[in-house]
Amino acid sequence: MRLLLLAIIAVPAIAFWPQGEDWSKHVRKACESRRFGIRLAAAKRVANAGDAAIAAITAYAKDKGQNAIPTSLVDALADANVRPPKTGKGKGIDAKDIDAKDYAPKTTALLKTWAADQAFYWRSSAMRGLALRAGRTTDAVKQDEWAKLFHQYSNDDAWLMRTHARFGAELIERTNPTQQLEDDPRARVRLARLLLDNGKVPSLQPLIDGLADQRTFLGIPWGARLGQESSKALNNWLAADFPKLTGGDTLESAAAILAVAKKESGQALTMPTLLEDADLGITGGFEIASCKFGDQFVQWSADGTVRFGIDGSRQVKLPADKWQELLQQQTAITLDANAGVVVCDKLQMVLFDSETRVDIAPKSLPAPASDWLKRLALRLEEANETAVAADLRRGLGQFEGQ
Amino acid sequence: MIRLPLSVLLLTAIGATPLQDPMPIGFPVLAGYEYKEGMTLPKEVTNLHEKVVEIRGFMRREFAGSGPVNSFMLINDACGCMGTPMMNEIIFCTLPADVKMELLTGVVTVTGKLYVGEEKEDGDVILIYAMDADTVTAS
Repeated sequence: MRLLLLAIIAVPAIAFWPQGEDWSKHVRKACESRRFGIRLAAAKRVANAGDAAIAAITAYAKDKGQNAIPTSLVDALADANVRPPKTGKGKGIDAKDIDAKDYAPKTTALLKTWAADQAFYWRSSAMRGLALRAGRTTDAVKQDEWAKLFHQYSNDDAWLMRTHARFGAELIERTNPTQQLEDDPRARVRLARLLLDNGKVPSLQPLIDGLADQRTFLGIPWGARLGQESSKALNNWLAADFPKLTGGDTLESAAAILAVAKKESGQALTMPTLLEDADLGITGGFEIASCKFGDQFVQWSADGTVRFGIDGSRQVKLPADKWQELLQQQTAITLDANAGVVVCDKLQMVLFDSETRVDIAPKSLPAPASDWLKRLALRLEEANETAVAADLRRGLGQFEGQ
Repeated sequence: MIRLPLSVLLLTAIGATPLQDPMPIGFPVLAGYEYKEGMTLPKEVTNLHEKVVEIRGFMRREFAGSGPVNSFMLINDACGCMGTPMMNEIIFCTLPADVKMELLTGVVTVTGKLYVGEEKEDGDVILIYAMDADTVTAS
């Protein structure tokens, strides 16, 4: 009788009990809203919910596919539930902000799954989230686990992935001893910026050098982007001591920032050299932007010199007859429109002149262009550039049309 | 609906001629500070409110897809792989109501009237820079 009475009272009470937030609704909004700002706000809301929203995220990814999760949601998860360190000039991480507690272990687990998935476009953002979490722990055993993870990716082909892995390793002061020298200027600047933003003062020279970088790749001003990133990072760090710049003269501005950075850091920093494009007579090229497999930059000049790397630092001269043959075959390529839907990875080709610049999504490269790029790889191989040719083939693989 | 071919991107011909000479501006100013929701925006940024400006950047769709667009995001980054752009690193550009165009790859120069200030929807800031884009040209 008592049980019956309890049931009579309890059933309606449970029915009207406030239910948990419907995170699937917010996840859908974070992934599908047509307004970027709304997606961003929803992503923050979902991320700030911590582990409560993880089931909704994984259900969404299972239903729509892993790559239906936008970078904004992964970045929001990366940034959420980690206590911000005290940053600022000379402060470093404040001891009271270091906390071994993982505020959202399910979120951490999801970030680990994503980071390990090479097919996931935003694995580098997930790695950044892991780095931030590792940076908050002082537990030696946990640090060992983190170090093992970071070392696994600290030579990854994708520059942002390895940068975030190196960032994590540096935060726990466990740099991978087998780490290769970084040859991508974007990675050097980004790592210094991340460390500075998170309370560790790294060697500031990459940021100082970035201030005077004005190089481009096929018209894309990547050097100026580095300059802005460097300036912003130093501005945040130096705060009120950042010099008032009049603008107009890059080296004059760099010298003013350098003087203050030297004084504040105590580092022996040197004045940067103004880095501009040399007149190399570039006539075409392409960029493979790949969050999965790493970026590749290839450009060529009329005499058959093919340059590799965003800064063209590596070059190969193809035999004149082979190059002329390639140029002849290039005329069969007609690329007058973008192909496919680009989410992250893309192949951008510039042929003949800057007007014929097109973006190609994975599985969308027209056969004539694909054939020509394969021939280029073959010629490179014949010129004993086997590693470059192999990289190229690997990078191009996902773009072949179906 | 007018669709513009890639080679003809000057929209001034359709009656959207700016009345003022556009003021050249850049992302170093627009994005040169740490944006926090609800903050007082820097004076050098608010001074640009309702000014006709000219700015270089990269076009990006507000939502993944294909085909011509009437609105787009102008950002400071050639590739979408650098991480989520901050709110002050995006100008939400809208073409005239009856105009659509394909997204251009590479650097573009956009001119038009810039609007500065937080715009909210359901309590969330959805943009701080918006522009009525008059012209879009490949740089």
